[in-house]
Amino acid sequence: MKKTELLLVFFSFLFLWPGLSFALNGKSNIALPLIEDAIAEDMPYDSGGDILLRWPADEDDEGVVYEIYAKTESSENEWKLADSFKAFEKTADKMRMPFWAWSHGSDEYAVKIPIKSVDGDADIGTVLCFKIKAFRDGKPIAESAILCASSDDNWFNLPRLNGLLMVILITAAFFMTMSRAKKKGLFIRRIAGLDAIDEAIGRATEMGKPIYYSTGINGMSSVNTIASLSILGEVSKKVAEYDSIIKVPHYDPIVMSVAKETVKQSYIEAGRPDSYHDDANFFLSSDQFSYAASLDGMIEREKPAACFFMGYFLAESLLLTEVGASAGAIQIAATDSESQLPFFFTSCDYTLIGEELYAAGAYLSKEPMLLSVLKLQDFGKLFMMLSVLIGGIAIALAAVFHCDGFVKGLLDFFTNY
Amino acid sequence: MENSMSIILGGWLSAGLTIFLFSFLYKDNPLFKIAEHLYLGVGMGWWFIVLLYGTWIPKAYEPFMQGEYVLIIPVLLGLSLVTQFIPRISWISRYGFTFIMGYGAGLVLPLNLATDFMAQIAGTIKPFSQLASMSWGAIINSFLIAIGAVCVLAYFYFSVEHKGIVKKASNIGIYFLMIYFGASFGNTVMARFSLLYGRFDLLYDFSGASYAFATPIIIILTVGFFALKHFMDKKKNSGAAQP
Repeated sequence: MKKTELLLVFFSFLFLWPGLSFALNGKSNIALPLIEDAIAEDMPYDSGGDILLRWPADEDDEGVVYEIYAKTESSENEWKLADSFKAFEKTADKMRMPFWAWSHGSDEYAVKIPIKSVDGDADIGTVLCFKIKAFRDGKPIAESAILCASSDDNWFNLPRLNGLLMVILITAAFFMTMSRAKKKGLFIRRIAGLDAIDEAIGRATEMGKPIYYSTGINGMSSVNTIASLSILGEVSKKVAEYDSIIKVPHYDPIVMSVAKETVKQSYIEAGRPDSYHDDANFFLSSDQFSYAASLDGMIEREKPAACFFMGYFLAESLLLTEVGASAGAIQIAATDSESQLPFFFTSCDYTLIGEELYAAGAYLSKEPMLLSVLKLQDFGKLFMMLSVLIGGIAIALAAVFHCDGFVKGLLDFFTNY
Repeated sequence: MENSMSIILGGWLSAGLTIFLFSFLYKDNPLFKIAEHLYLGVGMGWWFIVLLYGTWIPKAYEPFMQGEYVLIIPVLLGLSLVTQFIPRISWISRYGFTFIMGYGAGLVLPLNLATDFMAQIAGTIKPFSQLASMSWGAIINSFLIAIGAVCVLAYFYFSVEHKGIVKKASNIGIYFLMIYFGASFGNTVMARFSLLYGRFDLLYDFSGASYAFATPIIIILTVGFFALKHFMDKKKNSGAAQP
């Protein structure tokens, strides 16, 4: 054999060796091309639960499947598959982030890996390592270097900047309306159901029968309960003036304590502190139907002249008002629990719908503080109406003229991240 | 199939309490009162145990015993509410209430703003960005939702007198509300009926020999009780009316 032939056989063997080796061992030892510029970092603006992986997307990626393997830095365990997706499925522009907090586009991949999915015991600060592998037709074609990063809890959630701006706007508007309410007073249109309160209390006084007032079955942190208590203050003030009797059965002990203070204060403001009885407010049960059964029994036995159901109610609404109606009481209900409103309509004399519950306290008391809150709510509604009308037209036109940036920007502003 | 004594007793208790509560449909009576007070007491007892074993022990007592002494702050704030029972020091409870009110308002404000306000606007206008790819039905639906939202908001607008265009919009808003309430009413009534059927189904189950004929016997006894009470009341009243 000639020298050149020997060299040819040697080089052929050299080139064939990886394939031969793969066939013999079932896996390749060839160093795959590197996925360059891949980085692992803490997911920005989150509470420390995720790691973000980013690497450039290539136009030739069509048909490629990416797999991300992960493990904790300290563990001796095998790499674990953390995510798998087809090319262009998880480009950075598809990340659920607003434009003011995220500037990465479709030219790179961005994948969020929850740290708990890598290791259930992983916590903020645990260093995790990742390896990205690209496959085409089931064969590996590229892989990244080992990327390590740890998550961190961030103090400021920039994607929620829109919420902060709205809170600042609302606060500023509140102080402005408050100042106006104190100087000039604010107009509120007539709310029919509330005019009936005087009638109901007057009727109770004439009949010498008690008035039942239920604040609903929500806790003190609910807006409807707070609104209900502000109405209770006004109702009990009138009750004190007319020297009638009010009974307030409670579902929540904390609401009961606040209601006690409210009723007591109303009696003092009405100049009748001597008429106040501490047992006007009493606790029944924190169990929904026990509360309803007990209150039903009381209404049936005492046959009150008037029943007020103001606050949040669920399935017990009809159980209560039906008994009140059969006892011959004049009934006024107010709730923002929309599923129960139909039942109140059918069984009560007057029903305040949703927002009217919040407006009632301000309407009755005419207090600048409550009036300005109501005015503020109206500003909110006006803002919402204009946003729907103008925003709807603008977004439709922007979509027609392919102004995608404007469409995304507008939707980002109104989205909760 | 024969049931054990405890299951039969359970059936009798369940059927009895159900019938006692249903007896309120006739009128207020001692049997209803028994069920009512039992329900109230059991409800209170149930919640006491739930709060004791679901909140107090795992979230306060056990972590505290394991050295999380910072828990003393929320525990003291919580206990301050109990001072309501002692009028002389009831003012201490205001610290707890103030914290609850402040915490509640702080938690609710950004949450409601995001979900009930901004997300609603986004949800209403978003379909208009996809009109080209939507079916006619979906387009009409999107417009209906937007018009409905604006008109219902107009109804709840309190700062102006409802005259002119505001009145027209709010009247349309009332139609939207009523359609919604009608649908909601029908939906809820159907759900309540299914609960009633469930109860009747149980009463039917308890009427068999395996439950020692609980339902028919309790119904007969209840009706007998009412008849006897009616007879005795009538006798008492007629006796009282005599000079």
